[in-house]
Amino acid sequence: MKRRRGTMRRERLDRGIKVRTDSVYAVSGWPEMAYLALPRLVLILGLLAAPFIFYFNPYWQRVLSIICIYALLAMSFDFLAHFVGLVSLGGAFFVGVGGYTAALLNTELGLPPLLTIPLATLIGAGLCTLLLLPCLPLRGVYFAIVSLMFPLLASRIIEALNILGGTDGILGVDGFASKWVEQYVLILAVLLVLFGLRRLAGEDIGLVLRGVKDNDQAVKASGLNITTYKAIAVFIASAMGCLAGACLVHLYMWSGISQFALDFSILPIAATVIGGVGSLVGPVLGCLILVPISELLRDFGTLRIAVYAVILTAFIVFRSEGLMLYGSRKYHQFERWVEF
Amino acid sequence: MEIIIYGVVNSASLALMALGFTLVYGISRLPNFAHGALYVLTGFATWLLLNRLGLPYILALTGATVLIGLVGAAMYRFILIRIRGMAISEIIASYAIGLALLEGMRWGGLKGATFILPAFAEGSVSVLGVSVDWQRLILIGVGAVLVGLLFLFVHFTRVGLALKGMAQDERAAMTLGIDSDQMAVVAMALGAFFAGAAAVVLLPLGNIVVESGYNVLIMAVAVCIVGGLGSWTGAILASFLIGFAQILTVVHLGAHYQVVVALLAIIITLILRPSGLFGRQKELEERV
Amino acid sequence: MKMRLGGILAVAALILGLIMAGPTQAAEPIVLGCPLATAFLYGWDAERAIKLAVEEINAQGGVKIGAEKRPFQVEVIDTRDLEPGVPVSDALLSVEKLILEKKADFIVGGPVRSEAALAAMSLLAKHKKVSILTTGVLTPKYHAMVKKDYDKFKYCFRITGEAQWMVGGEIIPCLVEIGQEHKLNKLFIMIQDVAHARAGGGGIAKVMATKGWTVLGEPQIFPTGTTDFSMGLLKAKKEGAQVILVWMDMPETSILLKQWYDLKVPALPFGSIIEPAEQPGFWKATEGKGEYCLANVVNAGNAPSEATPWTMKFCDAYAKKWGVEPEGYGTSSSYMAVYTLKDALERAGSLDSDKVVTALEQTDLMGVYGRIRFDPQSHQVIPSLDPKEGAVGTIFQWQAGKRVVVFPKSIAVGQIKLPPWMGK
Repeated sequence: MKRRRGTMRRERLDRGIKVRTDSVYAVSGWPEMAYLALPRLVLILGLLAAPFIFYFNPYWQRVLSIICIYALLAMSFDFLAHFVGLVSLGGAFFVGVGGYTAALLNTELGLPPLLTIPLATLIGAGLCTLLLLPCLPLRGVYFAIVSLMFPLLASRIIEALNILGGTDGILGVDGFASKWVEQYVLILAVLLVLFGLRRLAGEDIGLVLRGVKDNDQAVKASGLNITTYKAIAVFIASAMGCLAGACLVHLYMWSGISQFALDFSILPIAATVIGGVGSLVGPVLGCLILVPISELLRDFGTLRIAVYAVILTAFIVFRSEGLMLYGSRKYHQFERWVEF
Repeated sequence: MEIIIYGVVNSASLALMALGFTLVYGISRLPNFAHGALYVLTGFATWLLLNRLGLPYILALTGATVLIGLVGAAMYRFILIRIRGMAISEIIASYAIGLALLEGMRWGGLKGATFILPAFAEGSVSVLGVSVDWQRLILIGVGAVLVGLLFLFVHFTRVGLALKGMAQDERAAMTLGIDSDQMAVVAMALGAFFAGAAAVVLLPLGNIVVESGYNVLIMAVAVCIVGGLGSWTGAILASFLIGFAQILTVVHLGAHYQVVVALLAIIITLILRPSGLFGRQKELEERV
Repeated sequence: MKMRLGGILAVAALILGLIMAGPTQAAEPIVLGCPLATAFLYGWDAERAIKLAVEEINAQGGVKIGAEKRPFQVEVIDTRDLEPGVPVSDALLSVEKLILEKKADFIVGGPVRSEAALAAMSLLAKHKKVSILTTGVLTPKYHAMVKKDYDKFKYCFRITGEAQWMVGGEIIPCLVEIGQEHKLNKLFIMIQDVAHARAGGGGIAKVMATKGWTVLGEPQIFPTGTTDFSMGLLKAKKEGAQVILVWMDMPETSILLKQWYDLKVPALPFGSIIEPAEQPGFWKATEGKGEYCLANVVNAGNAPSEATPWTMKFCDAYAKKWGVEPEGYGTSSSYMAVYTLKDALERAGSLDSDKVVTALEQTDLMGVYGRIRFDPQSHQVIPSLDPKEGAVGTIFQWQAGKRVVVFPKSIAVGQIKLPPWMGK
């Protein structure tokens, strides 16, 4: 379509079906309900069916588990950054704390994985929140830098004091009972967290959190204690991270200081940026794209890191709203050129 | 006595590493997380110019540092300028560029322990009863000279004064006709040049490896946070603080706590006094 | 239209025919999966040696299994596990990719980092894949775990030396020899902050104290990535150290040696592990300041010597193919791993993991660095100071630009010299 600059402009209108599904009319007919349910159903059914689709390719089943772990981390980053305004560059800290807790519960107390995972999630989240508590009043760049330092400090302290297995790590952690349990625990966790968080955003507490992000002075002036709400948000986000860490530990039957690696902080951020910030589905989508690409490029060695760094830069600079927003815009609206 | 001499050496190297970072942040409020990558890139470029093209050392040095200044300027002008003002995007984007550069160099052959730059002068000399090698003394000298030149530049040249004006108050500077975008590019070029200068002086002490990019970044961030983001005096003071703290830790506590000290310094500073020693942030801007 | 369709069908049939006909398939290759950190010395040394061995074996027709001869095929995946920012799960995923997607029959080489290799043991047990570890991983924990839980971990073998023997069987005797010959007895220890270095350094300190040496202070531990060793070296100089024991596998040790030279510390640098010094390029990299440094390359054959008739053949073949002498400590062991595997496969007559395990346990082969036999319970290659009895290590000293093997006496090519400023 030729654009004659100066006399034409782009106009976006909601699609007819979107307008029809806006309120109670959503249930007025099958097309409307399908329109609303389709994206969600595709995601849920797709994820649930994935282990079967890859039944003959066990390597990709494993990649699927890794995708789920990164998806949990990415959602935790997105939640903190876009619903509370705390940009955490140190997601690896949650992974490490959750991982070590689960490993210790398993090797010292002998608890089975299905018990250590929930316990590690809760205990780990508590620990993380406690440790991050003094840093919660910080804003913007400062919080970002301090959160980046936490996983580095943790790994150096474990290394220097030679505790918790030192540089060798904790070995001999139990694996999951069966391959199916292994995969479905993660997939169900991702789905529950995703839809749970979206629900939370609509509740009262979600409103307060978004208020904190927009204008914390105003929220403070309303008599609410900001630090408490931030602490609650950090608890939820770190719970997700610890869950991911605990699952990782049982997936690979080991725990060590490399769980604090920078990779666990950076890939979720890249996935969120590419997938679409602000909507919790975006990070999941981002992981679904980035992790397989990373695996396919494995044959190229370190070049793949350079490649995904370049992709990340391109997205941040040129299309920072991410794919999800772009996709939902196409789904809900149509564009046309009009004269003015 | 050794503690003092080597403390000064350590502080000077930290100051060199941090100067570029604090310069860029002070003027255009951009946390340049590609700092470490520019450091290693200069080293690699010098090595290539020296060994592959056979240029004399001085020429290779100056060529590489000027080149890196241009790379920094280009990086800013074509990529980072588009996300100006969005702090988190800037951090992530500059980190991603740094990552791409470092891993790209690793893929391009910068591996192993055999990439070195020759020292400026060989041998050691005894200063106040302590033997120090010439390169380390040169390091202190270069550091002092660079800071001095920077001071003169900022106070007595037009461009320098413009940069200083931008650092103080961007809007006021713009009303005086100073193009903030152009100045930001110049600041970035200068910051990259300083990273390169640090590399050229520090790398002959050891060898060029990709990992030092990440380490230099952490050290630069540590110094700048403790000194106050954006303040040059703060950065120099903080580098002395952290430099001596590290040396004292090595001598009295144990060498393996060196890095822990630096990281703890960052966290404690941020918790107690986020603007560091000389930062000019207002209280409300930094914490609720 | 019809002609177009017909044309397309014809082309498609032609292509299909070509694919089906294909190059006449030789016997199905045996896939060797190699998870290695190829951007690092301890990864690329193994990669090159493995490729050299496979090339030689394939040139002679391959491995004879039963009635047919099958070639080896190498699949290398870069695990990046020696990079500090990379989680071990990445390395484990590489191992799984090799097993599940590249259909590796055997795993040779890595993972290189101890943490990753230990974690990979459970993975290999799960998939019942025979693996021979050939580089990196010095921790004695590896073969201790095989011994402790034989039925689970019996698929894991290690053909390269490990820290316990290195310390007790090679480093300590070498230090004692140096002490007796040159009348030295003051030891200063500088190590990296890694589990194997701490254990090794601590162990050496204790033992040397019982042999009449004075160990000056506690071992100085340096975090990975340290760029300044001045305080440690000055302390050594002040306390009159005569031998400095270094155990670091980070590239920054060349800074240590340059500083040692510039400060003229009157002590002999003894590297139990010094990564940069193991490479031929070290001389140029330190501009000669690394002279007199002793380094340990764990397995003979990584520096030229006449341990067995095969040693120099290997050194020359490697130098011819890759343009540099063998470097690092994973080279000769990776080369031998491929040949040992070939020998075991030919005896077992099949690729079945359990049969291969039994065959490997019965290995008795005269290799590049001595007689190759595995301990039947821990699957660790049996070490010795005599190449006719077991696997021999190598300690060499940098003299005038060359790596001169000085220990064990059975394969030594030269004598240990002291730096001139030690005044002895």
